[in-house]
Amino acid sequence: MNETVELIVFALRIAVPVLMTIIICLAFLSLRLGQRDKHALIALDDERKKVRYPVLYWENSLGRSRGSDIKIADPTVSRDHAVLLRREAGWFITDTGSKAGVYVNDQKTSGRVQVYVGDKITLGTTVLTLHRADDPTEASVRKKIKPAKVRKTVPCGILLTLITVLIGILSLEGLLNTGSFAAVPHAAIFCAIMWVFYGLSVKLFQRRNFELESLAMLLSGVGVVLCAVHDPKQAYTQLISLVIGIVFFCFMIWFVEVPDRVMKWRIIIYISAIGMLLATLVLGRTVNGAKNWIFLGPVSVQPSEFAKIALIFVGASTLDQLQTKKNLFGFILFTGACVGIFFLMSDFGTALIFFVTFLIISFMRSGDFKTIILAVAAAIIGVMLILTVKPYIAERFQAWGHVWQYADTAGYQQVKTFISSAAGGLFGLGLSKGDLQYVFASESDLVFGLASEEIGLIAALLLGVVIGGFMIYSKAVTTTSRSAFYSIAACTTGGMLVFQAALNIFGVVDILPLTGVTLPFVSYGGTSMIACWGLLSFIKAADERTYSQKGSIKGSF
Amino acid sequence: MRKIGSRSFLIFILTMAFFAGLAYHTVNLVFHAAEWVAEPMSTFVPESGSLDYAGKVIDRNGVVLAQSVGGKRIYNEDEDVRRACLHVVGDDSVNIGTALQTVWRSQMTKYEFNGSFIFGTGLPEALKNKEDITSYGVDYTLTIDSRLQKAALEALGVNRGAMFFYNYQTGEIVCMVSTPSYDPMNVPEDIETNPDYSGAYINRAVSSAYPPGSTFKLVTANASLNEISGIEKSVFDCQGTEEIDGEKTVSCFGKKAHGKQTMKEALANSCNIYFAKCAKALGKERMTAYAEKMGFNSNVEFDGVISADSVYDVTDASDYELAWSGVGQHTILETPVNMAMRSAAIANGGTPVMPYYIESVDGAAKNKTTLASPMMNRETADKLYEMMDYTAAVSYGKDYLCSYLDVCAKTGTAEVSDDGTAHAWLTGFCKDAECPLAFAVIIEYGNSAQAVAIPAASHVLYKAAEIYKFQ
Repeated sequence: MNETVELIVFALRIAVPVLMTIIICLAFLSLRLGQRDKHALIALDDERKKVRYPVLYWENSLGRSRGSDIKIADPTVSRDHAVLLRREAGWFITDTGSKAGVYVNDQKTSGRVQVYVGDKITLGTTVLTLHRADDPTEASVRKKIKPAKVRKTVPCGILLTLITVLIGILSLEGLLNTGSFAAVPHAAIFCAIMWVFYGLSVKLFQRRNFELESLAMLLSGVGVVLCAVHDPKQAYTQLISLVIGIVFFCFMIWFVEVPDRVMKWRIIIYISAIGMLLATLVLGRTVNGAKNWIFLGPVSVQPSEFAKIALIFVGASTLDQLQTKKNLFGFILFTGACVGIFFLMSDFGTALIFFVTFLIISFMRSGDFKTIILAVAAAIIGVMLILTVKPYIAERFQAWGHVWQYADTAGYQQVKTFISSAAGGLFGLGLSKGDLQYVFASESDLVFGLASEEIGLIAALLLGVVIGGFMIYSKAVTTTSRSAFYSIAACTTGGMLVFQAALNIFGVVDILPLTGVTLPFVSYGGTSMIACWGLLSFIKAADERTYSQKGSIKGSF
Repeated sequence: MRKIGSRSFLIFILTMAFFAGLAYHTVNLVFHAAEWVAEPMSTFVPESGSLDYAGKVIDRNGVVLAQSVGGKRIYNEDEDVRRACLHVVGDDSVNIGTALQTVWRSQMTKYEFNGSFIFGTGLPEALKNKEDITSYGVDYTLTIDSRLQKAALEALGVNRGAMFFYNYQTGEIVCMVSTPSYDPMNVPEDIETNPDYSGAYINRAVSSAYPPGSTFKLVTANASLNEISGIEKSVFDCQGTEEIDGEKTVSCFGKKAHGKQTMKEALANSCNIYFAKCAKALGKERMTAYAEKMGFNSNVEFDGVISADSVYDVTDASDYELAWSGVGQHTILETPVNMAMRSAAIANGGTPVMPYYIESVDGAAKNKTTLASPMMNRETADKLYEMMDYTAAVSYGKDYLCSYLDVCAKTGTAEVSDDGTAHAWLTGFCKDAECPLAFAVIIEYGNSAQAVAIPAASHVLYKAAEIYKFQ
């Protein structure tokens, strides 16, 4: 390679993390701007006490307990008395097992009952009247309620253009480094997929925002290019999976649109997930030590990836369901069965992800630390028992914390990652210029190391930052989402993605044991890619703009 | 919803922990990058190029064993010295795992990514600051004496084997040679395929463990002196052969009867039956305990060099095998460095000093004399000292060992196959205050310690006497 080309490539290498930083900052800034200010959707007036309760959320708990969204200081009101929720058809109230019952216009209610402006809702001795949020009433004078403000967000076309430029730079770098056009068609196809996806979203589904999808596209794109320069054939599989993933994403968005429909489908998802895992256990094939693959002709899938989505379906719940059915028995049984099956498959990484996800969901639902501590204690005892019965499992993780001692054997991948990351520096050695590509599983388990070596530490860390950002975004939209189902699902998905990323990244840098899970969106792996897009739909659904066709929130009842 | 909102804080903590982990990795990487990239497993340090600007390697007398001149690594001008010092110094590759230039390579080269971690090893040639590269790495001064090295190489000749000589008062290793060797300036092209070079990358003085044969009788003697009361004075009548475990017999060399003898005479005669019976009488536990105290079932570590383990394992041995273990047969294995430390312990009142071979790094002293853990008590050490003195005088002849030095020694002929081929050992020490060396010499398939190992050791001892006694 002559000196000029070398300098051009060097400049491209520095441009990559800079561009990635800009894209990520713009995307998250836009997500932040797109969130509405907290304003009341409607209001409940207690005319006797002259108090106005602003109704802030799509699902609101009414009761005497401290954590209620609308806290009513009345001894005749139960702690968790009722849930006031908004659906497509309007506002509804559900009695969640109160002692005194819920009356609408003096009619005792059971189940979910629609309420209209001006209706009187009686809880114990408290009578509340439903008002529009901006109705000037005597009570509202005391509490000034600000109107909603819709801010301008970053146009998604800009984001996509930047991503296209980034992928173009990467493929050009691959071309200059390898002298082969291997990664160029992949990059072109990838960008085409991305723009078509955007076009369809805007035109067909009338979505106005595309930030989450852009970020996921950024991760997928980097993964595809990393894969393409080393193994072009493999990268086509990745592109096909990306398309299937996007279709699955769109389907999921449609499917979870009505949370009450999801609640009905839950049992079917429950049974089919368990059935699918059992089938894998019986019919599955062992690949790299874990029996979690099913081969259907030329296609091989990992059902455990889809079970992750099922877990969230089973665990997440709408607020009224949450308050009526408080026990987690079915959910515990589901998680227990799955984790047990993963142990039998020797897929310890997924087992761990399930367990942590279980903890997150249970905490999100109950807020009870005791349950979490109990579950962790039970798990520790369980693991100890398993290790006494099958001590060879521990041997798989013997290198953890001592990888340099096992540099030739169990610590080889980690040691190679260390050396390669050290050589890569902040801006990388350039695509295909590294050494880690020759190590087993470099595009899946070791992808963080591969990225660190070839596109630099900054870019590799940014991949992690995006996944962490998903989580922070999920947290931020928790209270503005259209249902507790979305809030719980989004937070849990975020937590799951972060934990999986942690297992992947920290596994290869010897902070955690190496369990062989994928880095969401980036790692090579078809099923993983599809499942990650499926999971992303939970976060997307929690964004309240997703289902509002014009993108703004106007009282619609 | 508000409750769920506040509970989401937990996941926020999880995310923060994730970011903290990424930060930890980053810090770890930035601090260790220079070290990691120079690791032996790294392919980023070109195997021959990385020493191009490394520091010098100098022996105890200021003789330059290796240096970099004009971006090229050159070794001592004398080919024999180069071959003799190969396993100590190493070559351009990292094939000799225990060599200085392998173990200390990153320090020797001051490998620093042409500046910093920012660009890793990926800075384009055009942007590299060429002046930076002329800064040479650190110099290593060794305790090795290249003259003794050369003598040892001559003594080993075409044989495979190793020599290890070190000062039992200070710990300085003055001679550590292993054969087969090769010239690091002209690495044979057929080194991987030619059987003459098989195992040439191994420093046999530390990385090979052999059956110790009769030299192990010193271990059995130490155990017996402590555990069997009155054994020193009692007399045993050797018949040449003796049944141990019913039908099986232990025999002395050539089935020759040694007749009535004390322990001192038994050691001088190298009577197998005497020490076999001792081992059997002591039993597995006590034999193992004493062997482990004397360095068995562990390794020796000095200056980043980690020796092979010496092994004494009689867990599954029959009485017959236990008896044979007392004379260093059965499955017993020992490294030359461990054996030399045993002789050093005897010379030094029971506790050996730790060996070392790096004197100073860029002029700053690297090592000081440190004691290893005691191998035996002073009283026993003094008795063994006298026995080795007697053995050398009566069985080998002090003049045969070296007429200018007062050498105490014990031979070992360790059978390695049923047809009688054996490794030849000699271990011992010099009493002379000017030349306080302890040593172990092994010649693979030398068959006779007296005929092969002693003359080889003797050649080096004469050279040592010439250097340390008469200069």
